[in-house]
Amino acid sequence: MNAKEIAIEKAKKVKFVILDIHGILTDNTLYYTDDGKKSECFSLRDRLGCRALTEGGIGIAFLTSKITRTDEQVGKILGIPLEKLWGTSAKMSKLDEFEKESGLKDEDICYVGDEMIDLGIMKRVGFSVAPSDGSIEAKEVATYITRAGGGKGVVRELAEFILKAQGKWDSVIDRITKSG
Amino acid sequence: MAFEKNLEEARERAKKVKLFAHDVHGVLTPDTFLCDVEGRRKYSFWHMDGFGDLSLTANGIQIAFLDTTSIDEEGLVRARELKLDKFYYRVSDKLAKLEELKKELGIGYENIGYIGCEVTDISVMKSVGFAVATADAIDEVKEIAHYITTAPGGRGPIREVCEFILRAMGKWEEWVEKVTRMGYK
Repeated sequence: MNAKEIAIEKAKKVKFVILDIHGILTDNTLYYTDDGKKSECFSLRDRLGCRALTEGGIGIAFLTSKITRTDEQVGKILGIPLEKLWGTSAKMSKLDEFEKESGLKDEDICYVGDEMIDLGIMKRVGFSVAPSDGSIEAKEVATYITRAGGGKGVVRELAEFILKAQGKWDSVIDRITKSG
Repeated sequence: MAFEKNLEEARERAKKVKLFAHDVHGVLTPDTFLCDVEGRRKYSFWHMDGFGDLSLTANGIQIAFLDTTSIDEEGLVRARELKLDKFYYRVSDKLAKLEELKKELGIGYENIGYIGCEVTDISVMKSVGFAVATADAIDEVKEIAHYITTAPGGRGPIREVCEFILRAMGKWEEWVEKVTRMGYK
């Protein structure tokens, strides 16, 4: 099997997607106003991606060292429930805890990361993904690298890849298009 | 992927346009939003895309903002700023709205132009006479488009396609001359 076929086989098993926020949902850029207020830039294509994954019966969580109020607002826009916004830098033990309570196994889980802190979890889960502008280390470990860079539709692209592998994409998009 | 389009055919199709429709996000914007710690959001639009829409209406071509994606009121705010809010529609089913406008105007699908970028635009683009894709549209959309703009979403695709349409109709030069003399607002 070539790399793409391996990725498809792994994507078929995915039941839950865990997303790092910075560098995945954002392009890593921080914007400050003169009064010190910070903004970050997110992609609306990822809203379609999250919606498609949810419609396809796949769960989603954000996992980052600290959940800010920006992340909560973005979670709302992307349709991620508050209890799936995980803020901890102990990413591996969070995964242990989640697997225990959900009954899901490593191979059921997709993790999207871009940095050193993500490598442990990326090596562990069934399907690991890095954005095209992720660190070299993350891209080396990843099963699949998106064409999109962080903040430019990584989740949109990943959703299509997973749902196509699972044969659900066309029906999911059909439902979304009809309901707006 | 490179997509070869027949420009002659695109011009012939553009000539017939009487209604030109577009969504807001992904076309008028780069499909992104800025969010600050208080949850306040900012959206970016392209200044000269407003000139594009105004150029069409000034030349007797009706436009329609078919907004399926606005989070706040950004689409309406932009339309209002251009004094084009009577052509703004918040919709969930774009094809159904176009069908309605088509009947109202007494025109056919060959008289409708549309610019899109996502899977959710495909059914509309397959129906209309002149289908346009942005430079950063997904491949499936580019494949079925009659014309692809060099500008990606939020970087002037409307300005570009409006020029294409008015040039195809032979109205562009006269319009530019008029604007230069009189302004357009």
